[in-house]
Amino acid sequence: MNELDRDIVRVLFDSEAIEKRVSEMGKEISEAYKGVVPILVGVLKGCIMFMSDLIKHIKIPLKMDFIAVSSYHGTQPTSGAVRIVKDLDHVIEGRELLVIEGIVDTGMTVGYILRNLQARQPKSIRLCTFLDKPARRIVNVPIDFCGYKIPDRFVVGYGLDFLQLYRNLPYVGILKDQVTGLEKT
Amino acid sequence: MAVITISREPGAFGEEIAARLAGKLGFMLVDKSRLVDYWSEVDPDAASIKNDDEWIPLDDLDIDSETEATVRLLPELIVQLAEDHDLVVIGRGAQGLFRNCPGTLHVKIVASRQFRVRNIQSNEEMSSREARRWTRDLENQRFRYLRFLYHLNWADPNLYDLTLQMNRLSIDQALNLICCAVDEMQIQQVQRSQIIENIVSESEEDRENDHFVHFSEEEFARFLEFYGIPFSYEPDSFPLETNAEGKVVEAFTPDFYLPEQDLYIELTTMKQSLVTRKNRKVRKLRKLYPEINIRIFYQRDFYRLMAKYGLLAPESETADHEPKKEEL
Repeated sequence: MNELDRDIVRVLFDSEAIEKRVSEMGKEISEAYKGVVPILVGVLKGCIMFMSDLIKHIKIPLKMDFIAVSSYHGTQPTSGAVRIVKDLDHVIEGRELLVIEGIVDTGMTVGYILRNLQARQPKSIRLCTFLDKPARRIVNVPIDFCGYKIPDRFVVGYGLDFLQLYRNLPYVGILKDQVTGLEKT
Repeated sequence: MAVITISREPGAFGEEIAARLAGKLGFMLVDKSRLVDYWSEVDPDAASIKNDDEWIPLDDLDIDSETEATVRLLPELIVQLAEDHDLVVIGRGAQGLFRNCPGTLHVKIVASRQFRVRNIQSNEEMSSREARRWTRDLENQRFRYLRFLYHLNWADPNLYDLTLQMNRLSIDQALNLICCAVDEMQIQQVQRSQIIENIVSESEEDRENDHFVHFSEEEFARFLEFYGIPFSYEPDSFPLETNAEGKVVEAFTPDFYLPEQDLYIELTTMKQSLVTRKNRKVRKLRKLYPEINIRIFYQRDFYRLMAKYGLLAPESETADHEPKKEEL
């Protein structure tokens, strides 16, 4: 057990379960986009592991692109507004987009991204997320492909972070409350 | 000399009140058609004002140059009109344009959503579903318009001198109340030049907070603002129980309403063991108003949200790994 593993209270999905589910999702997506060349838009950085595994299981031609937006840091009197810090390289007007997320939680970030992409008039936009945490949803976003629905727990690993750490864990695990600060609440 | 601004929720009779008020006081009514006419007088060769002149796209960055030019032109036209006339201005962010100016009265006309949807249904011959959607879309447009031009929250009660709830008032009664306020505030005694001189530039100004009751509400509001989610703070109260005389003895006022989601949010930072009464109220609300979409954010939900952004992390963790602005 390494020092990252020690901060995990329980493993939700191990690498074997992940591999199996991602492979199934790849098949679903290949079927859904038969005859077209979709652009897969990864939402950085939470998508990285999921997207790199997923594309290996998609058996149709596809293009890849990435987008990143600034994250909320609260506490300051004015924390500004969300903005795109890495935009797409492709022109997406008239194209079929599949947005790839690591997790959909409140829906705020992906809701903003979907609105922004929609304004560029793609032919279609669909959303694929590895994890869906519906208990915390504030902005309703339609999810077309979902790996797992999870309970309202703080999860990290498989690309998902806490303060930029734990992304490299090969599994999805629940982080200890002592680490997040939740134990004091 | 005076300027009265009328801000209105869709379907709350704002337009009717503004038109009749202008007639009653002998003021010029500034609405869409007045601005179109005036603009064509000022510059006959210019492009006409867009049909939907209070429209702002979902994302400010997507605003095209023609729309932006119209949006920025309207305040100038209104100020020009104010130089020569007493005005009743309906909408168009005038509460932001003339905020804090002497000689002005800012009126907000509201009504319950149910009441407004019913009015719209009968006036526009729409189904209830269509009317709700139409109302929501218009509210969103107006939120975005005021935010775009003046960085103000349409629902901020501090922007208004007088708020009239039309569920319980006739249009005549509303007119009388506004006229009383005009007299009491003596806004007609103010020199016209003083109104114009005090117009705040459209650049950002320091804005007082929305007087949130609890820090968690303020933090949540900041979070919504960050993601550009329009919201209003405690906009509606729902009667839960009335006595024999019909007087409301129990009501529930959710903390936030998110018009784009058509969602009410109640934040509670009480410990889980103490929320029974609030839960009971929410159950009652859901039973009496099944069409209302409401979510409770308990203490644990709020803290989990904060934890997600590293805002609860122990000092040593944040010191070592505090995310930079660009971290995602």
